[in-house]
Amino acid sequence: MAKSVTIYTRTTCASCSMVKKFLDLKQQPYEVVNLDEQPATVTDQVVAKSGARTVPVIFVTREDDTEDITIGWNPGKLAQAIA
Amino acid sequence: MAETTDQLELHDVVMIGAGPTSLAAAVYTTREDIETVLYEKGVIGGLAAVTDWIDNYPGFVDGIEGLKLAEQFQGQAERFGAQIRFGEVMNITDKGSRKLLETTDGTISAKAILIATGSDYKKLGIPGEVEYYGRGVHYCATCDGAFYRDKKLVVVGGGNSAVQEAIFLTRYTTHIDLLVRSTLRASEILQHDLDKMVESGKITVHLNTTTDEILANEGGVNKIIGTRDGERIEFDTDGIFIFVGLKPNTDFLHGSVELDEIGLIKTDTELQTNIPGVFAAGDVRSGATMQIASAVGEGATAALSIRKYLEELERSEV
Repeated sequence: MAKSVTIYTRTTCASCSMVKKFLDLKQQPYEVVNLDEQPATVTDQVVAKSGARTVPVIFVTREDDTEDITIGWNPGKLAQAIA
Repeated sequence: MAETTDQLELHDVVMIGAGPTSLAAAVYTTREDIETVLYEKGVIGGLAAVTDWIDNYPGFVDGIEGLKLAEQFQGQAERFGAQIRFGEVMNITDKGSRKLLETTDGTISAKAILIATGSDYKKLGIPGEVEYYGRGVHYCATCDGAFYRDKKLVVVGGGNSAVQEAIFLTRYTTHIDLLVRSTLRASEILQHDLDKMVESGKITVHLNTTTDEILANEGGVNKIIGTRDGERIEFDTDGIFIFVGLKPNTDFLHGSVELDEIGLIKTDTELQTNIPGVFAAGDVRSGATMQIASAVGEGATAALSIRKYLEELERSEV
């Protein structure tokens, strides 16, 4: 189980729904930030940190405070990140 | 395989893919108490779920968002007991009355299988496409279009998807260059809508133009190289969205099921493949019309054929 998980989403993102369902299944708590409801500066920060112009972007902080970024719906990588 | 077939988790029917076809089929099978498991490696609802707006699915006077339609399909199937699992089926093997499925959860077995894996958007296969995926190269306008507010884009393709998604993207962008390899193949209605965008200066259509290379700088994708009449053309852009047709998801079958010349699954009129008990429906089936309405109809047909197959199987095992 990771220390914290934040999913950056948009309202019309089908892959974002899959990430949320996957984390629910794994009983991993997470925070959702809908970029459509945030100022543009938040989007700019996510793009700058991840390099990605896509959603979902999932920031995972592990128990040892190391960070992992998963871009898109990638259950294999996400499972490793939160393990 | 260490376990014998009898020791494996056994299901009445396993559906591969959880798009409109399987979700419709699952409504029918579960209502008849046929235990049903669906495997989905991508997005529940398939391509329908990543389509911004669906205007041609009956029952919705004003149209419906693709994601909302997909959620309705899923909710209805789950209400009757369909189990949807996240995972991939890597191979299927016919063992007569039992079918084995090699999945990311291990090997499971089923009395019947429905293959409804649909299609994915084709790639162009040009330099820069893989390297800059998600960082300026995209295949889903509804997912990623909002990152291009007040920016310029290139959209590639001349079919319904390309034109519809280009029109959708104009809500964000300052300008779109639409690169079409030959001529437009989109429906008349979409071309009429496109004409309005061209007249307003929001979209410029470049016919007979190939897309050859995607270039980027530190800020991401910044230029697309194309060719028209043998001459190199450069398009300044902030990103590229690619919609150049569909590729059937049949690679995982490794030749176990008979395909047609373009990789779609051949079936009989009851949607059964060359393997008894293995059915195929929707966009992955040879002869499919690639419409959500027909995919749903094929799902219902496949479910009725599966019921009939299972009844005959049960009689033969008594």
